[in-house]
Amino acid sequence: MGVPPRNRSDSARGAGELGHVSAARPLPVDDAGRPLFELPDELAIDTDVARKVIAGFIRGQLRQAGFERCVLGLSGGIDSGLVAYLVAEAIGADELLCVLMPYRTSSPASRADAEAIVADVGCASELVEITAMVDGYFGGADGADGAGAGGDGARDATALRRGNFMARMRMAVLYDRSVTFGGLVVGTGNKTESLIGYTTLFGDNACAFNPIGDLYKSQVRQLAAAIGVPRQVIAKAPSADLWPNQTDEDEGAFSYPLLDRILYWRIDRRRSTDELVAMGFERPLVERVERLVATSEFKRQVPPVAKLGPRTAGVDYLYPRRRPGSARP
Amino acid sequence: MPVRIALAQIAPRLGALDENLARHHELIDEARAGGAGLVVFPELGLTGYQLQDLAAEVAMRLDDPRLAALAAATRGMSAAVSFVEESGDHRLFIAAALMEDGEIRHVHRKVFLPTYGLFDERRFFAAGDVVRAVPSRLGVGVGIAICEDFWHLQTPQLLALDGAQLLLNVSSSPGRDLAAKNDVGLGTATSWRTLMRTYAQLTTSFVVFVNRVGVDESVTFWGGSEVIGPSGEPLFSAPLFDEGLHLVDVNLDDVRRERIALPLLRDERLELQARELGRIISERAGLAADSTADAGAEPGLDVAPRNVANGRPAEEPIRLRSRRR
Repeated sequence: MGVPPRNRSDSARGAGELGHVSAARPLPVDDAGRPLFELPDELAIDTDVARKVIAGFIRGQLRQAGFERCVLGLSGGIDSGLVAYLVAEAIGADELLCVLMPYRTSSPASRADAEAIVADVGCASELVEITAMVDGYFGGADGADGAGAGGDGARDATALRRGNFMARMRMAVLYDRSVTFGGLVVGTGNKTESLIGYTTLFGDNACAFNPIGDLYKSQVRQLAAAIGVPRQVIAKAPSADLWPNQTDEDEGAFSYPLLDRILYWRIDRRRSTDELVAMGFERPLVERVERLVATSEFKRQVPPVAKLGPRTAGVDYLYPRRRPGSARP
Repeated sequence: MPVRIALAQIAPRLGALDENLARHHELIDEARAGGAGLVVFPELGLTGYQLQDLAAEVAMRLDDPRLAALAAATRGMSAAVSFVEESGDHRLFIAAALMEDGEIRHVHRKVFLPTYGLFDERRFFAAGDVVRAVPSRLGVGVGIAICEDFWHLQTPQLLALDGAQLLLNVSSSPGRDLAAKNDVGLGTATSWRTLMRTYAQLTTSFVVFVNRVGVDESVTFWGGSEVIGPSGEPLFSAPLFDEGLHLVDVNLDDVRRERIALPLLRDERLELQARELGRIISERAGLAADSTADAGAEPGLDVAPRNVANGRPAEEPIRLRSRRR
């Protein structure tokens, strides 16, 4: 902690130096002059304040844990792309390792976007293909290698099983690289996908800390535009890239701005279902979103431990995660 | 009477009592060297905020030699310092002490412990029961309050009526709500600024707000410490989120000018307030008939159950089986 600056009252700076500008800042546009994305008014945030808070949060998490570096899985999509920029802004690009972990069916365009982000951020990167890990369990593409570790039945696994397995293989790689690079694994999931449960438990939601987990997808786009994520990354349809040409919005049959607005009014602003319908949202969609939120509650919480002893972690043994003595020496 | 006030907008380390004590000593020295007559530290500046079960481990009794050493560092000046106090009967309080000329002159124990939303203070701490203004070497009465104490109108009012002309609020306010429509980019800051200006004007007193910065676990404290004059005019606003020791010159004579021009405190009707409060307390306890309650309201509740469909009082009021006739 350095020596703090001293300000006399006659040279007082107003606290308003942060703010005022973001709301009025125009959204980025494509070559035809159309906005790259839709930003509902109620979701617009002050991106200057967000960047300042997130940078301090990242530095605080690292300091409290005794780390100086970060590792993250970079897919080429907007969420992990934004986090790469935020980490670089907080601690410098030299302290960040981005790991690209494509599977054999992953989109080449995603990889190109990821490489463009790495080049622009100026951080280290590493390519770890997860094909052998995944096929080693489900069996190879052509069957020539026989059944994988998952047995004969695994060859017919659904896309959901395969997608979850891939996410958990990527998690395993990141936690291994966390050791070799000496960095904490940074989460890249946003609030929208967390609330509707569009995540893999112990897969893409596994991390040491998450700087964007309280930002809806629309706010991720707004912040990404403000911090300089490449336009093609902001504009493309979000995809988990679990199979070719998959997109989140096709798979879920929703649009992110609409979904974000429903979640915002229902959860952050505590409006009832009836109130949302009165505001003009379609009841079947509102009810479907509510079901998604309720059924995924378990993904957002630490698993319960059976209460048996006098003091139980998370129940009546309540310590901050980071406290004196908790940092890595 | 001019006085230079030092606002210590610091980022305490969670649970690191020795480190935070050392930082307080440094900043007291720096404030003194800068000519300050008063230095104000934020809520739980000696311990950090999100303590949970650590609270008992960093608690100090008022006779703790570490507090005595800090007080000893205040010779010739005043300091407001906040920590976890353990009382003789082993209650833990969020406390703020006024230290002056080497002694602890006054201790305020946080009265309102928020236990809602992201707050869980009542689980870990006991609530104070006393709101007092105290004389000070600064020549005016000082009233100390801690964070949530100022989300209740009665606190600044009681302090001013008890003789305070300088109200200190020491805070660990977590920043939240980044909606772009907020004045300063943060909903929390916008709310606090409204409160501070209002209290300063209504109590015709100086309000000094010192809020911490830094990160405990998930939450980021937003700083934005301020000094507001007795007319409600902001005299100084520190930057949001950044550490700093800010020196602000004020003239305490402004209180006299404001109170002569705008004698709000003179005109307060304490006996009326006490009488009406006495009535409300009796009614809420079910000990007196409530002449202004809805028809059909249960004793102690002013509002009758509503018919869900039409929003009017239910035609057949709900009766508790245990209700006395």
